[in-house]
Amino acid sequence: MRSAIKAYNYDWMMGSLLEAAAKLPAGTAKETALAFNHIPYFKAPLEALIETGPPGIHFLNLLSKYYKNIVNARNDGKKIAATTFCSSPVIFYAMDIVPLTFEVLTAIGAMVWKRGMFDYMDYGCEVGMPETSCSSQRGALGAYLAGLGASIDFVVCDTPGVCDTNANAFVFAAEYLDKPFFQLNYPSTLGDDRSQAYHVKDYQALIAFLENQIGKTLDYNKLEAHLQEVEVQDAITADLEDMLMLVPTPIPPIYTLMIYSGRFCFAGHPEYTRLLELLRETAQKRMAEGIPGLKAGVENLRVLMCYIDHYTVDMNFYNYLEMRGIATTGSILTRNFRDDNKYCGPLEGSCYGMDTSSPEAMLDTMAQMNARLPMVRSIRGPYDQHGMWLEECLALARLYQADCIIYNGTPGCRNTWGMVKPFARDIEKQGIPVHIMNDDAFDDRVESWEATRERLDEFFTVRGLL
Amino acid sequence: MKIFQEAAAHIQCQSVMDWKATGKPIVGYTCSYLPAEILYAADILPLRLRAIETDGMDIGDAYFGPFICSFPKCLLQLVGSGHFKFIDGAVITPGCDGIRRLDECWRKAGEDYEGIVPGFFYYFDAPHKAEGHGMDWFVEEIETLVAEVEDHFQVEISNEKLHAAIVEYNKARRMLDTVESMRADKEMVLSGADMFAATIAGTALPRDVFSEQMARWMAILKQKPPLGSPRHRIMLLGSISDDLELFQLIESDTGAVVVADNLCFGVRAGGEPVEEAGDPVEALARHYLGGSTCPRLYGKYKHRLALVKEKIAKALVDGVIMQNIRFCDLHGAENALFERDLEALGIPCLRLEREYGPMTDRGRLKLRISAFLERLDRQSGKPRPDFRSRAAN
Repeated sequence: MRSAIKAYNYDWMMGSLLEAAAKLPAGTAKETALAFNHIPYFKAPLEALIETGPPGIHFLNLLSKYYKNIVNARNDGKKIAATTFCSSPVIFYAMDIVPLTFEVLTAIGAMVWKRGMFDYMDYGCEVGMPETSCSSQRGALGAYLAGLGASIDFVVCDTPGVCDTNANAFVFAAEYLDKPFFQLNYPSTLGDDRSQAYHVKDYQALIAFLENQIGKTLDYNKLEAHLQEVEVQDAITADLEDMLMLVPTPIPPIYTLMIYSGRFCFAGHPEYTRLLELLRETAQKRMAEGIPGLKAGVENLRVLMCYIDHYTVDMNFYNYLEMRGIATTGSILTRNFRDDNKYCGPLEGSCYGMDTSSPEAMLDTMAQMNARLPMVRSIRGPYDQHGMWLEECLALARLYQADCIIYNGTPGCRNTWGMVKPFARDIEKQGIPVHIMNDDAFDDRVESWEATRERLDEFFTVRGLL
Repeated sequence: MKIFQEAAAHIQCQSVMDWKATGKPIVGYTCSYLPAEILYAADILPLRLRAIETDGMDIGDAYFGPFICSFPKCLLQLVGSGHFKFIDGAVITPGCDGIRRLDECWRKAGEDYEGIVPGFFYYFDAPHKAEGHGMDWFVEEIETLVAEVEDHFQVEISNEKLHAAIVEYNKARRMLDTVESMRADKEMVLSGADMFAATIAGTALPRDVFSEQMARWMAILKQKPPLGSPRHRIMLLGSISDDLELFQLIESDTGAVVVADNLCFGVRAGGEPVEEAGDPVEALARHYLGGSTCPRLYGKYKHRLALVKEKIAKALVDGVIMQNIRFCDLHGAENALFERDLEALGIPCLRLEREYGPMTDRGRLKLRISAFLERLDRQSGKPRPDFRSRAAN
């Protein structure tokens, strides 16, 4: 790793940058415009967020706070858990633990920093992670492996049984940094009594591990407060989901990013509730006025991202959707699979319910909620099994009236690359066009954004969609 | 032993075909986590699926994506081209993401290639943790598999039959362990390739035939005069490898011998006996899952490092060659940790990433292995071999 990269801690640097960015709209328009001249590489994502008004500004503050929590954890007397986007942060907040989610930190760095996360990704390889490992963890993890971040206290992994490469990154982190490790492990089925019971036992073991790490027991009253906040958040999210189903949708593409990033960082926290409220308010206003979410005011196409979005420099992907007049109906990351969502109807057994009436009920709620998080819900067993990825995507595409489905991931995703071709073929058989993107959502060196854009254009043109 | 070499080199070896000729079923399986004793107890031949003799990749590439290990792709290639039509069943285990997706890819290829999906096609859901509820889940998986096999093949798998199968399997395990000790002796009586051929044969031959042949081989080895001390005592470890050619590449014309291995087709999967007392299903579960010998059992790295160090000490290993098939992150990352920790102890290590199947990158591998052996020469103070005269010969 170059010495210039080692000059600043990654988390402190990003946190400071986002904190300053969030203050920018408080100045005059002239001041903001002048500031943009000094941040050419950060300008596009910042502009895109600030343009959304209060939701984007609140989102910037939220991300800044996420970093600051990590940077200040030691001073605040809190421990840091390195964890994954498939793991709900609610349990950590209920136990005064600071979650540090590699994928979120990689995505933010990839979008807002000139160099993307390349240097940190490469450092991961320098110390032994395979170059074929998933870039979503390897980016931010590289910084922590290099000692360029706050000290991690323990590692909580949440994908064994679902994604080897994800789990393996956390195992490597724990061994390399010599930190305690815990894994939540998933069976190949969902919704049946046996797997439901397994989730609960596994979650009980997680709580015991966390209690052991922090030296105190879980306060169920505190957990209840956080779950009640989740209850509010889920209700607002369901409203937003309903609006995503409208044609045209009043939800701009960038909102979906804010919905799931906020959830990964602050589920169960009032800050995230406020973000969702702002998103709902602005979307409802547009809906009432009959204004589509897309800036152009016309919705040419509706896509369902069946896996993840694209996060490299400048928020190119979201800008591209805006430029082409393409509405996104969300990705695998957007949905929370709370049972009161409309889309849960055709996906019986796939969703979770909320019950805070007793510690046992809360434990069950947490375990089942966690088991419905992105990827671990949809891609755990054979993709054509009841309730899994194929059924889910077909149901969502129909409900949200998507014109096509797009797969985007990373080369590290063995889990999906192992079957995405037959999966796409099965969807095509149902009359829905599918495009498989061959890029890396976090690393433009695999395929340049320009090439990715050309391929998307080609798909839309050849299939007569645009 | 010719029978071992033949079984290691050919999927449809004579013993397997002899079994087939009797009309008794054969069930293929993909991973060392499947207790083969269950099938054997039902008078079914358990056949660990291998993908040697692959001569193309068009079918494998049509279903799997580009970023997938070449082992499941080669397997699918053979499946699609009809090489496995002789098996009556297949059990897919989520050993890793590549292999677990063989489940879908095999079934979907079956829509395009007639008759390639056997009548019994089963997903055996081995968990990633061996403690408490993880072990309970695995026990239930074994019980369910037993019931499914009984139902499909109209057989009975009683505890008595399971116990007898365990005893038969243990017989050969103990013999493998004895030969493994002989292999670790200072004076060499067998090559690493010979030992590896035997362990592979153990995943294909009917177990009683294998035991009988192992007994004969042991008797021969005990009579055999030592072949001298190897120039370099090598340990080979890492991801899926059932390729004798890799051993031959290390051993032929180098003076190096693979005196220990930790491969999923090697003695790693065949060494320790299963408990013969108590409930046979629970004993099988403890043996197959509890060993934590493979990086799919997350959080057990230190256990595996201790196992490797023990083997290194026992076999007086000079250097460790670690290999993984490209896209196998589990072994790729663990090999890096092994390298860090073993080199810190002064044990030279070489990490190789390669493709499964025909050794298309033989030249590259040979070069790197030769360079590694030169490093061992330098460290041991042994004179460097005269490569020019060797080339002339």
